Amino acid sequence: MTGRKLVASAFVLALLQIGFLGWIIAGRAAVLRSGAEVLLKVEPVDPRDLLRGDYVFLSYDISRIPAKLIANIPAGRTSSEEGPIVVRLRKDADGYWRPASAWLGAAPAPAGEGEVDIAGRIAAGWDLTGDATLSASYGIERFYLPEGEGLAIERDMRVRPFGVRVAVARDGTAQIKALMDGDMMLFEEPVY
Amino acid sequence: MAAYSSRVRADIDRWAAAGLIDASTADALRRDVETSARRSLSFGSVLAMMAALLLGAAILIFIAANWEAIPRLARVGAVFLVILAGYVGGAVAKTKGHPAVGEALWIVAAAAFGGGIALVGQMYHLAGSESSAVLTWCAGTALAAAALRSGPLTVAAAGIADGWLAMNLTGGFRLFGRTEFPGMFVAIVAALFVLSYWTRSTAARHLILLSLIAYVALFALDHDVLPVAVGLAGVSAVLFAVAVLAPEPVEAVVRLGGRLPLHALIGFLAGMTMIQFAVADESGIGGFAVASAVALAGIVAAVVLAGRQSRGLRWIAYIGFAFELVIVYLVTMQTMLGTAGFFLAAAVIVGLLAFAIVRIERRWAAPAMQGA
Repeated sequence: MTGRKLVASAFVLALLQIGFLGWIIAGRAAVLRSGAEVLLKVEPVDPRDLLRGDYVFLSYDISRIPAKLIANIPAGRTSSEEGPIVVRLRKDADGYWRPASAWLGAAPAPAGEGEVDIAGRIAAGWDLTGDATLSASYGIERFYLPEGEGLAIERDMRVRPFGVRVAVARDGTAQIKALMDGDMMLFEEPVY
Repeated sequence: MAAYSSRVRADIDRWAAAGLIDASTADALRRDVETSARRSLSFGSVLAMMAALLLGAAILIFIAANWEAIPRLARVGAVFLVILAGYVGGAVAKTKGHPAVGEALWIVAAAAFGGGIALVGQMYHLAGSESSAVLTWCAGTALAAAALRSGPLTVAAAGIADGWLAMNLTGGFRLFGRTEFPGMFVAIVAALFVLSYWTRSTAARHLILLSLIAYVALFALDHDVLPVAVGLAGVSAVLFAVAVLAPEPVEAVVRLGGRLPLHALIGFLAGMTMIQFAVADESGIGGFAVASAVALAGIVAAVVLAGRQSRGLRWIAYIGFAFELVIVYLVTMQTMLGTAGFFLAAAVIVGLLAFAIVRIERRWAAPAMQGA
């Protein structure tokens, strides 16, 4: 490889990698800018799992979906397969958004006024019968914190209700916007 | 070292001028001095690579610390700058005749790309995708290795793939309900193996083969030990035989500097060790004795067939042999008399073999001496 060609390919390579990172940032910033905003209640989780390194592990009340909410369970299916789930959220009187209905795969119709569809995934093997609940994840289960600030928040989270403001894109992609201690905002994420 | 090589070069010129050596000998000597002088420089390139790895680790840990004093847009900009400066600066350094500096800068840039992925994940609190983040890093590093035709970057990509495998198996990713074995690893290292021909990286091929042996061993432990271990030992034995019987064509394909038998022996020993433990659990001492005898016979056969050409292979065989003795002792510990009997039999057999080998080697050597 001649010298100029090597430098040129290094330049193109650097632009490709920078472009790739920039593309992810732009996608996430777009969700933050234009996504519908919902407030989700954070539930305390097993304290041993709560803090791992430099992030807190978040569990939401929408992390557990009653099987009865899922409208399109195929006849005869008793346990879940790994795959997508769409949960339609509606705002409750206390300001938090809670699941109104859910579908495996995709929603049959777009969300109406005052409703937001959030896209998640469920693992295989959850019971789908009777009063069972199944666990869903939405890619918003972590909150990264500056080094050393995690423990205090972890402690407070167990004694007071915390909330997370989430931006949800039209396709259901969720993006954490702010971490709330009751009504007080602890961290708000800039678009970039 | 440089002083010595310049002095020798002056001596060669003088000897050639005085007619002590002819021109072709003088050329050969100069070439030899040059290559050994270049090899002595590798100490500097090792230090450069270590500095690059330290710098890369510093970037990654700095990002993990999530230090608020620097706005994150500035952190993103700094990472982009390191990627650009590392790749382009490394290419410039390489064309200006500093290959070690160039490769080191590329390693820093590849580390910064991994840091960039981590930073984006941290900025937007992306959860549950560490596995794909590490895979993306691996793919980006492999792409860089291909674009820049860099051996060290190929090794780095294989190392990242190894890290991905280790994190997957130790549960470091904490994916929900994830229990399946990361079989994608085979496809990844196969692609990197192909890439290593383009980047002329023998070191990457060595690392990949060792990683594959480790992968198969872990796969055996995770699944059914006996059939997988038998497969590993069998395939390794066949590879060894092919590599020893047809060294030139095999070397033309694998290009491992003639060291394929070493990997085959390591794979064979790993497989046999697992077989020994598996049958010791299941079928009493009879099956174990057979497996141990096969393992020891394999080691002896490896030394007889390829030990003379390769010092490295002899050492692996010696270590494997000592290891086998320890295994036999551990498994048969309950009956020390039995162990003593096995060792006595082994001592007699190995002693007879040694006697035979000494005679065979002497007979091989004698005609060669007469011919010379």
